[in-house]
Amino acid sequence: MIKVRDIVALLEAEVLSGESKLDEEVKSVGASDMISDILALTQPGMMVLTGYTYPQVIRTALVTDLLGLIVVRGKNIAPETIAYARENNFLLLRTRSYLYSSCGKIYATGLRGSDVGK
Amino acid sequence: MSENNKLARYAAIFEDIKAGEIMSSNVVEISADKKIAHAKELMKIKKISGMPVVDEKKQLIGIISIEDIIHAFEFNKINDPIHRIMSTQVVTIHKDDSLADVVDKFENYKYGRFPVVDDDKRVCGIISKEDILHGILEKFNLIYIHDQKRTSTLNTEYSAITGEKLKVEEAEFHYQIDSSDIDAAGTGAAMLKQFLTGKNFHSDIVRRVGVATYEAETNVVIHSRGQGDIYFYQHEDRFIVRVVDNGIGIEDLDKAMKEGYSTAPDYIRERGFGAGMGIANMKRFADKLVIISEKKVGTQVEMIFYLPTQTWPLI
Repeated sequence: MIKVRDIVALLEAEVLSGESKLDEEVKSVGASDMISDILALTQPGMMVLTGYTYPQVIRTALVTDLLGLIVVRGKNIAPETIAYARENNFLLLRTRSYLYSSCGKIYATGLRGSDVGK
Repeated sequence: MSENNKLARYAAIFEDIKAGEIMSSNVVEISADKKIAHAKELMKIKKISGMPVVDEKKQLIGIISIEDIIHAFEFNKINDPIHRIMSTQVVTIHKDDSLADVVDKFENYKYGRFPVVDDDKRVCGIISKEDILHGILEKFNLIYIHDQKRTSTLNTEYSAITGEKLKVEEAEFHYQIDSSDIDAAGTGAAMLKQFLTGKNFHSDIVRRVGVATYEAETNVVIHSRGQGDIYFYQHEDRFIVRVVDNGIGIEDLDKAMKEGYSTAPDYIRERGFGAGMGIANMKRFADKLVIISEKKVGTQVEMIFYLPTQTWPLI
């Protein structure tokens, strides 16, 4: 079982919000910058890697019961986005790692996307 | 595009529907040996303009219309038996005919409705153009683009899917969409989801309602250039979500339905919208979906989500 804190360690990520969720299990992982893709492809218990940092992304994630978001490439995140995440105790991580590398590192742990096992 | 052409286009998509599935089965028929006056009374009471005529074996042998009755009055034949004046050139539809066959009949003949018969030529139903549309809506998650003649369907208080009454003031949840603020898009859907979560509904249906409503709401913000509202209703075994706007309507429905197609401008895309998945996602997450849209009048999205049976309270 892979927990959120394992991902945090693996990607050397900052935890910007949702500290209470570090021991939750990550069931699957995805990556997208498109809101509709996130809406369509995610499953409950999933973490999504994204370069998308508008506050909208938190709202999208909350609507889809996403476990958490990982913002890649150390991007600046609007204070409103972080505030909105904190208000909802939503798990928001940030890593310096690029999208491709982040995906590769996580894939190597054995975690798969929502297209596998269907 | 004429109404018939439009029907022909849909017929190809819904080939597997049989006439028997979409016909109205409570058809009023009359025996050929009855008086014309009798047919007149029956048509008056039932408010219909024509009736299939059957013989003693209940087999279809003709049709009588209002024109035939007027004709009988003119020639003082109102007490004659029906078989004297009925039309015997009846165009019928077999109950196993495909939707395409049915549409062909409407294409090739000018009649407004056709009797449906079984193998023994007995009348088992009647089909009008309305029945075709209702049949399709009943059976599939259909997206239906509106035409000018049917303006009564848009913005009515009746469900486009089930026909039940949906009064704006009786909605259990209402949110007025602020179309001027792209950053606020999805707020209504998030609030609706919160509202449902608070009522302890199954998380799966709550999530499906949230996602589909989110897509409908962002469409209003991005595309409608008008004002919109979200209404939520809970009926015994289902949720109904209506998202209506008074905007510009959908320009090309075929394209709008295609995954990956989007008319969103660049500044919208930069914000992660405009993946061209909006309608596809609504279809994916709602159990039934109807989109009625008319240029310069607006768009109405209606979605039904059936509650899983296990969440029904145990009595």
